[in-house]
Order: sequence, then C-alpha cells, then structure tokens
Amino acid sequence: MSALLEVSGLNKHFGGLHAVRNVSFSIAPGEIVGILGPNGAGKTTLYNLLTGFIPPDSGSIVFKGRSLRGLAPYRIAGLGISRTFQLCRPFVGMTVFENVVVGGLGAHGSDRVDLDARALALLKQVGLLSKEQLQVEALSYGDQRRLEIARALAAKPALLLLDEPFAGLGSGEITDLSALIRSVHAEQGLTVMLIEHKLHEFMRLVGRVIALDFGEIIAEGAPEDIVRHPAVIEAYIGRGDEQAEEQTGAA
Amino acid sequence: MFGKRIDFAGALGFIAFMAALPLIFGGNYLIGVLTVSVIYGIWAVSWDFMSGLTGRENFGHSLFIGVGAYTAGFLNTTFGFSGWWSLPAAMVMAMVFALVIGVPTLRLKGPYFALAMLSGAVIMQRLMLIFWEQTGGEEGINGIEPLIRSQLGFYYFALAALVLVTALLLALARSHWGLILRAVRGDEATCQAAGINVTFYKIASLMISAAFAGAGGAIYAHYQLQVSPQLFAIVTSITIITMVYVGGMASIYGPVGGAILLVLLTELLRNFGEWRLMIYSCTLILILFFLPNGLIAPTWRRMKSMLAGRE
Repeated sequence: MSALLEVSGLNKHFGGLHAVRNVSFSIAPGEIVGILGPNGAGKTTLYNLLTGFIPPDSGSIVFKGRSLRGLAPYRIAGLGISRTFQLCRPFVGMTVFENVVVGGLGAHGSDRVDLDARALALLKQVGLLSKEQLQVEALSYGDQRRLEIARALAAKPALLLLDEPFAGLGSGEITDLSALIRSVHAEQGLTVMLIEHKLHEFMRLVGRVIALDFGEIIAEGAPEDIVRHPAVIEAYIGRGDEQAEEQTGAA
Repeated sequence: MFGKRIDFAGALGFIAFMAALPLIFGGNYLIGVLTVSVIYGIWAVSWDFMSGLTGRENFGHSLFIGVGAYTAGFLNTTFGFSGWWSLPAAMVMAMVFALVIGVPTLRLKGPYFALAMLSGAVIMQRLMLIFWEQTGGEEGINGIEPLIRSQLGFYYFALAALVLVTALLLALARSHWGLILRAVRGDEATCQAAGINVTFYKIASLMISAAFAGAGGAIYAHYQLQVSPQLFAIVTSITIITMVYVGGMASIYGPVGGAILLVLLTELLRNFGEWRLMIYSCTLILILFFLPNGLIAPTWRRMKSMLAGRE
C-alpha cells in the first residue's frame, strides 16, 4: 500500500446532524492537501475523527497500513499524526520553550538533552527563539500559531494536521506562516493536511484540495480546478453568505 | 546554576533552623507543636504534587492520611508487627485507595474526582464508626507503640521524613514528569495531541501523592500513639489546601513553609482565647487577598532574584 492515510466510508452523526457523511480519500506521503469547506462543513469533525478525539459511527481510517479504530488520541499521536487546534490551545502557565519540549515528550521519551536541543532548533525555525523564555500567555496570536506548529513538529510526526492555521492572522503573518509550512514540508518531506476556508491561501500552498460541504466530499482535485468547480462555487456563493463571497472573491 | 546554589543554601538554612529550634527554646510542648507542623508539611507537599501541578483539586486528602494511620494502627496493635512496618504498609494501602478512586474518576473531565475524594473521606469516617467492633469506633485504636522513645528523636525523624519527601517530589516536579503534569493543567487535549497518556499521569501522580500522605498518616499515628475517625475529617483536607495556598501552589517547597507557618500561628493564637479563630481567619484572608500566589514561594523567588542580581 502506498498511501500514508487511507480513509474510507467515514460517518459521524451528532444527534440528527450528519456531520461527516460517507467520506473516503487517501493521502500519499509527501503531499500537502487542503481541506476546504464553509463553516460547519465538517472539517474539524473530520480532524477529530482522524486523531481519535471522537469515535466514528462507521468507516475505517488506516494510517501506515494500521487501523486507527478504537485507539486513544495519545496513541494515534504516538504513531505519527500531530495536529494543531483551530483555537490555539497552548499549555498555559508554562514558557514557550517548555511548551515545545512537552510536544516531544509523549512520542519520544526521555533524552532530555536531545529534546531541549530539538525544541530550540524548532523555535529557531518558526522564529520564536528570542521569546523562548516568555510565558506562553504573553505571545501574540500569530506567535501562538507558530508555537502550535513547533509544538506539533516536536513529536516528529509523519503527518501534520493543521486546523485553520491562518485564522485571525494579518496578510503579512499569513505569508510568513505559508513560507514556514512550505519549508517544513520541503526540508523534512512532511505530509501536511490543512483546513482552510480562504481559497486564496490554498492556491499557493497545497497540491490538492478536498472540498467538503454538509459533511460530504463535493469535489477533489488541483486547486485551480476546485475554484472553478460548480459545486464549490455553489457551496460558497450560492448560499449568499457574505463572508464566503468575500473570500472566494479574493481568489 | 547560581539559582540552584541559592536554593540549596536556602534548604540547608531551613533544615538547620528547624533542627535548632527545639535545642534553643527547649520544652516538650514546642517539640510537640513542631512535630505536628512537620507532619502537616508532608501532607501539604504531597497534596501539592498532584493537585498543585495538575490543577485537579483533591478535597479529600484526609482519606489517604486516615488510611495510612489506620493501617499503622492495625498492623501495630491487632497484628503485632513492629512499628517500622507501618510506613511501607501505609504507603501501599494509600496507593490502593488512590487507584480505586483515581481510575474511574480521573478519566473524566469535570468535578467527579474532587467529589469522589470528598465523599471517599466522609464514607471512610462513617465506616470507622459503623464497624466499631473492629475499628474501636469513636475511640479508635489505642496503644500504638512509639517508633522512637525520645520525643526530640521522633521530631528529628519526622523532620528527616519531610526533607526526604520534599526533595523527592521536588526532583520529580522539576523533571519531565513534572513538566507533563503542568502541561495537563495547561490543556489536556493538547497533551493528548502530543502523545501523552494524560490519564496514566494523573492516576500515577495521585498514587505518589497518596503514598506520601499515607506515610505522613502513619508517622502521625506513631506520634499520637492512637488513631481515631477524626483523621478522615474534611477540615483536615481543607486545612492542608489552605497551607498549600499560603505556601504557593505548585512550588512543592512553598507548602512546607505554609504548613509550618499555619500550625505555629494556630498555637501562638491560643493565648487570644475565643478571638483566636477570628484573628486566624482574618490573617488568612489578608494573605490570600494581597498575595494570591501565596506567601512563601513568591517571597523566596523575590529574595533569590535580588541575591542573583547583586552578584
């Protein structure tokens, strides 16, 4: 099997809401894949299913040839899937440096020197080295996003799941963060999935887009094809959602 | 590096001070008060290790204290074991109780753990009365043998136990283990995403915390030479939490100071008769109002940075 991640027939209901509906896709090693969809399309639920934070009703998730069914989130993380959260969730009450060290602790145990050195290297890579001794609460929102990525990378994942990494950032910060994601992908051959609803960023960053609406995959393909796909246009514009219009317009 | 040397010097100074106090002032009354304060220190430090670091507050630490004390009592009187078996046995029994309460409640979010600890202590207190034929009921177990005959000798033993427990837990709190516990306090979901088995760390930490609380309970039993259901009382747990707050939560060493300070304060205020509780409460309110991070640990940190700055 050549796919790194193979998802098939995934379903999740929340009461009457069919949040993820019969979703199947696969991710090859080294890809950058975008998950696109309006608010409420089921993107974050899909991440929560992939990382074991919520159990699926049906369907299978196979990572590196191994089924993830029934595994606790920490075990899935240990197998090599790291994620960030849509709202930054750093370890409050700790320094920036400590946040990254903890990120590496779960996956690989105990060699303190190695973890410390690695944490510093990652902080340098994301541009937070000068702030390593600050309390994490003192960071700006953009810096917290960078910290989340450093923390996720500390576990040396094979697959990195980013949940709306650009939300709430200014355009300069978005450009910097895109460059960071690109460099991490290029240097470490890391496979990346990212959720976003700003088409603009997808165009430049991802090789392939999976578009979701109402929990279903409505289109899949190269970003330039996706923006012209009628189902995607309808999902964004056909609904008259002001915010969505604005974002599609930016693309 | 310099900070560590100051810490070490501070610890030595504290131990020397505590060891010298009964030699300077003398008197069995003072030795007794100091012994109790040192035992409270063990309880406060062990509470802080689990609850201070992870933020999962334990409202029934007296459960582990009582279990440890009764284990010592039964072993020493009913079964006739030497008093020195009390300590390891009390630690093991307290850990068993921690496991039984921790496994079902620490997996869950929400107040289940705090409530289970609180009710666990209350239930044990009631059980000691219900099974009075075995436990001695309200009277408890009497005739426990002293570990060390000399009162001063026993005080030094308890002080040594406090130093050992604090050093161990401080080392653990400053290791990766402690870092993980603080991360659990920060955000459990992110811990999971980082591959950390949060439930394991919480339960294991509760067991460590319980073991030392139980050991403290056994030491207390061999100091009082009797145990009673009052050991399980909620007021004991609340007193310990107050000591941790006054000492400085999650600092491990701070609660030692908090415990000694509050026990001594209680004794000093005995002269004030019925005003005692009033003065005690007002002092506490003032400390916590003006120093929400506690008194001992923040003061020590400030002194340290002043000393380091002068170098």
